[in-house]
Amino acid sequence: MTDSKYFTTNKKGEIFELRGELNSDKKDRKREAVKKVIASMTVGKDVSALFPDVINCMQTDNLELKKLVYLYLMNYAKSQPDMAIMAVNTFVKDCEDSNPLIRALAVRTMGCIRVDKITEYLCEPLQKCLKDEDPYVRKTAAVCVAKLYDINAQLVEDRGFLDMLRDLLSDSNPMVVANAVAAISEILETSPTPLNMLEVNSQIINKLLTALNECTEWGQVFILDAISNYTPKDDREAQSITERITPRLAHANSAVVLSSIKVIMKLMEMMDPSSDYISMLVKKLSPPLITLLSAEPEIQYVALRNINLIVQKRSDILKHEMKVFFVKYNDPIYVKLEKLDIMIRLTNQANIAQVLAELKEYATEVDVDFVRKSVRAIGRCAIKVEQAAERCVSTLLDLIQTKVNYVVQEAIVVIKDIFRKYPNKYESIIATLCENLDTLDEPEARASMIWIIGEYAERIDNADELLESFLDGFQDENAQVQLQLLTAIVKLFLKRPTDTQELVQQVLSLATQDSDNPDLRDRGYIYWRLLSTDPAAAKEVVLAEKPLISEETDLIEPTLLDELICHISSLASVYHKPPNSFVEGRGGVPVRKVLPPRTGSTTPEDAVQTEAAPQLPQATVIPGADSLIGDLLDMDLGPPTQAYGQHPPPMAQSAPVDLLGEGLDSLLGGISMPTGGNDMGVAGAPSSVAGLGDIFGFNPVNSYVPAQEIWLSAAAGKGLEIHGNFARRNGSLHMDLTFHNKAMSTMTNFAIQFNKNSFGLLPSSPLQVPMPLLPNQSVNASLPLSTTGPVQRMEPLNLLQVAVKNNIDIAYFSCNIAAHVLLTEDGEMERKRFLETWKEIPSVNEKQYEITDVQHNAETVVQKLKNNNIATIAKRNVEGQDMLYQSLKFSNQVQVLAELKIQPGNSTFTLSLKSKAPDVYPMVYESYQTILHHA
Amino acid sequence: MTIMICFIICTFRAGISSNQPFCTSFHVSGLLSYFSGLFGSKERRILILGLDGAGKTTILYRLQVGEVVTTIPTIGFNVETVVYKNLRFQVWDLGGQTSIRPYWRCYYSKTDAIIYVVDSMDRDRIGISKNELVSMLEEEELKKATLCVFANKQDIEGAMTVTEVANALGLSSIKNRKYQIFKTSAIKGEGLDDAMEWLANALLSNN
Repeated sequence: MTDSKYFTTNKKGEIFELRGELNSDKKDRKREAVKKVIASMTVGKDVSALFPDVINCMQTDNLELKKLVYLYLMNYAKSQPDMAIMAVNTFVKDCEDSNPLIRALAVRTMGCIRVDKITEYLCEPLQKCLKDEDPYVRKTAAVCVAKLYDINAQLVEDRGFLDMLRDLLSDSNPMVVANAVAAISEILETSPTPLNMLEVNSQIINKLLTALNECTEWGQVFILDAISNYTPKDDREAQSITERITPRLAHANSAVVLSSIKVIMKLMEMMDPSSDYISMLVKKLSPPLITLLSAEPEIQYVALRNINLIVQKRSDILKHEMKVFFVKYNDPIYVKLEKLDIMIRLTNQANIAQVLAELKEYATEVDVDFVRKSVRAIGRCAIKVEQAAERCVSTLLDLIQTKVNYVVQEAIVVIKDIFRKYPNKYESIIATLCENLDTLDEPEARASMIWIIGEYAERIDNADELLESFLDGFQDENAQVQLQLLTAIVKLFLKRPTDTQELVQQVLSLATQDSDNPDLRDRGYIYWRLLSTDPAAAKEVVLAEKPLISEETDLIEPTLLDELICHISSLASVYHKPPNSFVEGRGGVPVRKVLPPRTGSTTPEDAVQTEAAPQLPQATVIPGADSLIGDLLDMDLGPPTQAYGQHPPPMAQSAPVDLLGEGLDSLLGGISMPTGGNDMGVAGAPSSVAGLGDIFGFNPVNSYVPAQEIWLSAAAGKGLEIHGNFARRNGSLHMDLTFHNKAMSTMTNFAIQFNKNSFGLLPSSPLQVPMPLLPNQSVNASLPLSTTGPVQRMEPLNLLQVAVKNNIDIAYFSCNIAAHVLLTEDGEMERKRFLETWKEIPSVNEKQYEITDVQHNAETVVQKLKNNNIATIAKRNVEGQDMLYQSLKFSNQVQVLAELKIQPGNSTFTLSLKSKAPDVYPMVYESYQTILHHA
Repeated sequence: MTIMICFIICTFRAGISSNQPFCTSFHVSGLLSYFSGLFGSKERRILILGLDGAGKTTILYRLQVGEVVTTIPTIGFNVETVVYKNLRFQVWDLGGQTSIRPYWRCYYSKTDAIIYVVDSMDRDRIGISKNELVSMLEEEELKKATLCVFANKQDIEGAMTVTEVANALGLSSIKNRKYQIFKTSAIKGEGLDDAMEWLANALLSNN
């Protein structure tokens, strides 16, 4: 037996049973069956398989059954588009039924069946219904035209339905007029091309206004919406329309009220703003808006969102009604927040005291969002009403004292804005703000605090410490905090260059090298180049006075506001977004609604033109980039010259310009940079290891390190100047280099190479220059050396030829290896071996040198030499003279024996050397000289 | 035995109904109402089929209201109850257009009789008409259905004769089925009575 049995069933199933009942001869059974089918459909069961059987029940004189079948059809016609054709004949018959209800039902269902194949057959009955004697049928047919237009616009236009629809605007029945208006609006919205024939003219407007008084409330909304799309030919017409609409403001339906307000707001644009009529209208608009606020919360919210737009457009409406926007304890949060917003908009000098008292109360509520917004509102009050700023600030300070975390953070954010509005007025409170630094955990608050520190760095003693504390977690900060930190530290540096250089280097490096954020990198580089090119200019740029912030930062941009005013009482006015930003799938041209131009003598043609071509460039709040730059720089920007466009500023290839005299030095006021040159060169070895060693003093036996000397001049190195020296640290040899970039372009990709030399010196690791070397900057590098390289005798013996390469060029220079650093730690010889060797070496190899002007006694000398790997093997006192017997060994294993004669009271020592390789004597002598004179 | 009773009942009923409305016969007696419940109230299901423009809808309404009505091409179907000689027929008139013909089969189930209407003037498409008829008669669901062919539009000069139509449709090859062809004119109302008379008797004798 196969498994197929599981897929077959003996049960006929529900569908089968239903089918049987649907085909029953008995009418009640049939009706019951259709009811069951509809019930299944409603709960989501797929009963589409019964389509033919249900359709066959369609021709019945039982209205109930017919309605049910129609319901089924609306639902499933789309899934059975071919079979749906079987219903057509019934529709046709029903549209001629003697019962107007059935006619209307049929035409309505027809509109809801969105099947392309059958729309053609439905035109005939629709045409009849549009001219039906019964208004209910006509009204339903009007709506059906709009639906049909959505399915097949061409068909509707070809069959002349638009004309018929237009005729319905003159219908004797107001309900028909309202529905025709609604259908026309819908068609105009979806139409891909403007349909001039449906444009509303003043004649039609009159008919609409007549119908307005007689039709249902929802019909009124449609008519009002249509009127709002009409631009009257002059202000007199506007006024007369307004007069006929004003009574609607008292309607109980809030949609009617808001739609009327929309029309009036739009028409007011056309009237003389100083006229008495306008001021009378303004007075008339307030009460209905206030009435809306006594409705249920959802309607209140919609009203508030619309009021928000209205008061932005016309602040004189509601200006005396502050109290109705005070928050009630039981308002839902969305109403509270919206009311707060409007309170701020309505705040003025007269009511600020009242408002502030309210806001202070709100700031102690429990709802976090509301409290935050209240705190912010206090700040906005301060910015808006200058006279109240002080009171606002002290209120904010009180709130900060509460130490409630989110209150403090919000307060700091707004105080930043207050500082930007009233600079140099309330800085005394900075200390209080700084106390709360640690508690700030929100990026906006942190960024605001950092901005404050940077802006007022000169007044905060420990600004550098504060900013440095943020720097540790730089990578983890939010981008806005990072940006703010960068700017603040640069500001701090420009204000206090002496002790913040390290900080600025650090933050620049973090911003430019350790960050992916393009904004941060770019800003970092801008600052860096600005600082390295012309710090004085940098100071002028970065610390320049900035314009004060404007009173209201959250106003809707005027063109958008005007557009939204045209959409009052729609979703757009609640979202505060233009409809095309959230309504998708509309085939129509996105026609932006605009307010009519304010002129008393506009010709209708002009008006139509404006309406039809709203995409014309309009003045916006944000000026174009060109004019902005022009304004800021206060100069006339001509068309960019071709040369400018084609050649980047010739920075990279520029000849080295010596900026040393100007550069940072001017800013630093004569304080020398560590990169300044010879004057810094004390024992401090630049490598970090040596640095640490110095700090902790754990390596007292370090050999003497001579000062760095210039090995390569900027002129020879195309802007690259190299100072250097050799050092022996912990038994290994290092070449310490300081690179100065004296060119105007950044240097990168440093590399170094040695020529063959007497001691086989070779870099044991590549040159590490950690970052691109910016103009006028310097960097230290320590190059560990080995002595295992190829050997070639040089003259003098300690000559070293070096090549340094960077992105610009290769520079060659030669230097002398400090002799004593070549001495190895294992130079000490056993006494016995010393004696033997001394004897072995012929006396021709012995050479005497005199070291003059040594200010040390024998003991110190021994110690000093020991520190530099010259071991004293024996010491004898012969006739009052100290005879020191010493040995040393060069890195190439050449051993030298020495006898140092010190006579008491004589500062001249006599040095006798004996070695199998007398060539090295000058170097030994040099070593002694160096050690005894400097170390 | 059953056939006998049927016959008796039917003739009996036919006799009564010539004098008074059919529905009253239900209440004659217990026995009778039982039988009439079995057969009498049952509507015979009849399909009117044929190519478009053959005159199906006109025939339907001619049968139902006895008048010629203005018709438009039937996109879909019409269904009416026709009472003929006290027999109730549920008559389905299905659209004959090419696009609708595929849906005829949805109506085959439980069909008692088919009225197949042919436009006797339409010589061009008589072949198509034949094909449709043949393929329809092959349907399992229609195996027991009585066929009644209407050679319609006989009022028009130059129409095919009944014999011509019958030959063109190849009726002679039909087997195992009760069928008949009539010449009709729906416009003039000619031939319809004869056809219905035959059909009613044929259906009664089936029972």
